[in-house]
Amino acid sequence: MPKSVVSAQRLHILVADDIPSSRTQMTDMLKSLGHQVIAVESGEAALQAVAKSSPDLVLLDLLMPGLSGFEVARQIRDTVTDHWVPVIVMSSLEGEEHLIYAHSNGADDYLVRPVSPGMLEAKLRHYARMLGMQNRLLGLARRQKVINDNIMDAVLTFDETGVVREFNQAAYRLLAGPNRPLSGQAVEAVLGESLVDLMHNNLTTLMRGNGQDFPAELVWSSWREQGRMQYTLVIHDLTERKRIDRMKDEFLATVSHELRTPLTSVLGALGLIASGMAGSLPKPVVEMASIAKRNGERLGKLIDDVLDLTKLEGGQMVLHVKPCNPYSLLMDAVDGIKAATDVENVHLHVSGTDRCPPVTIDPDRFLQVMANLLSNALKHSQAGDTIWVRLFFEGQVVKISVRDEGPGVDPAFRKRMFEKFSQADASDQRSQGGSGLGLYVSRLFVERMGGRIFCDSRPGAGATFSIEFPAASQAQSKPSASTVDTSRR
Amino acid sequence: MFVEDDADIRNILQFSLETIGGYQVCACSGGLQAIEQAPVFQPELVLLDVMMPGLTGPQTLERLRAQSGMRRVPMVFLTAKAFAHEVEALLAQGANDVIVKPFDAVILPEQIRKIWERSIGQ
Repeated sequence: MPKSVVSAQRLHILVADDIPSSRTQMTDMLKSLGHQVIAVESGEAALQAVAKSSPDLVLLDLLMPGLSGFEVARQIRDTVTDHWVPVIVMSSLEGEEHLIYAHSNGADDYLVRPVSPGMLEAKLRHYARMLGMQNRLLGLARRQKVINDNIMDAVLTFDETGVVREFNQAAYRLLAGPNRPLSGQAVEAVLGESLVDLMHNNLTTLMRGNGQDFPAELVWSSWREQGRMQYTLVIHDLTERKRIDRMKDEFLATVSHELRTPLTSVLGALGLIASGMAGSLPKPVVEMASIAKRNGERLGKLIDDVLDLTKLEGGQMVLHVKPCNPYSLLMDAVDGIKAATDVENVHLHVSGTDRCPPVTIDPDRFLQVMANLLSNALKHSQAGDTIWVRLFFEGQVVKISVRDEGPGVDPAFRKRMFEKFSQADASDQRSQGGSGLGLYVSRLFVERMGGRIFCDSRPGAGATFSIEFPAASQAQSKPSASTVDTSRR
Repeated sequence: MFVEDDADIRNILQFSLETIGGYQVCACSGGLQAIEQAPVFQPELVLLDVMMPGLTGPQTLERLRAQSGMRRVPMVFLTAKAFAHEVEALLAQGANDVIVKPFDAVILPEQIRKIWERSIGQ
């Protein structure tokens, strides 16, 4: 703000004095110091000039016919309230009583006549500095107001009794109505609830100025001003976000339906051909149909993964968590892979106890994660290998591990194996068949259910994937975020 | 009787149920047709797609159940929604069972026979 400091040093000064000679003398002195001067001959004219030309500073003769300097000082204080105009009174009277009276009427300072040029210059330099600071503060306040008015969220400040002190344009547009002004209103009248109630819910429903309800997110901050609490509230209108969320949900549901419908026909037809039910065909044709069917199933899995991923990353996946018996779920998962391991001639060794405590999880998502880990293990197994599945309970944690006897995981890859689109290498993707999403989606599911997934492996010595969840007795005392989500939607 | 708006899936269902299963079938492309055909065909089991234009599967089920003679006929939904809570919601709407899409056309007749036996047993 250097500009306002410079302009404050060259002051715009109002001189009020009924004696022409002393008025002229003062005017000349001020001009010689580089200031701009308006000179008037009465108190009434001084008040008019203050209103019309907003001087930076007023030099006032105390004793004038009509309105005296005392009265003019008082009226300037009463009428100019948005900024400070220094008022300096001039007097040749003996004693100090009239000066004390001038101060109590609002004067800031005084000069004794005859005014010494040195004293005048010193005082004006002092006030120029003060006015420079005031300009800087006013500039900051103006800039703050412009910024506030450009913020798209509603911003309001309240005093400790809950009365609206300030608000920005967005707050006015959102909350003010024909029968609802904002300025000086109680928070209950504007937002329908008390400060304390509002501070307890950062997600709530408020009413627009036009009477419509809208979902809102609230952010509070507070500070102390002259020993009293003041509060700032930012209101973020969630209407649009909710609408987009709904659109996205509908879109996902439609996409999911539209992608699965043709796939149902493709897989149905191929299944009938490959099984020979649709008529006997040469062996190579049946083989080709089986390849097509297998890859159709892979495509189905990929569609599921991508849809899950979109929902998970968008925070829209609602998990249906409840206390579950991990043993019986694990047995379901193992049953699910049994046919495939039999075909590949891979053994499944399952150990565990059904006396494990329950875990709070979404059973569908758990089965999905287990199917992923088991098919991963199968993918990396050869005929004659064994997949070792183990369930155990250790230190309040229920742990399930799946170990294969495959080539193991390259340590360099292990760091990023739970990331999106991770494949050990490009050739792996072709030979093993996968989207690179399975482990990533599994990790998101496990973490959303309050668990952990990790992998131990040495190249050449197989890989062990483990997932663990806190036992339900622990987990129940602290409901997971996903439970909260479910109730909110 | 089965109700499915997608013609290709209808063909596969027809082949699967008629040729593999040896059932007598009535193929409907929408809920209204099913409601019209049910008193004539008098199905012993109804297979219903969930997401259909016009009447949805659950709406069709409700209207079929209201017909005389259809109250105790087993009704099964065919759906791409596979999660337990979604299946539970469909069962709560009065279905006897839910078959998930994509289904296996080879074993579908056997699946349906089991559902029918179980439902009738109740």
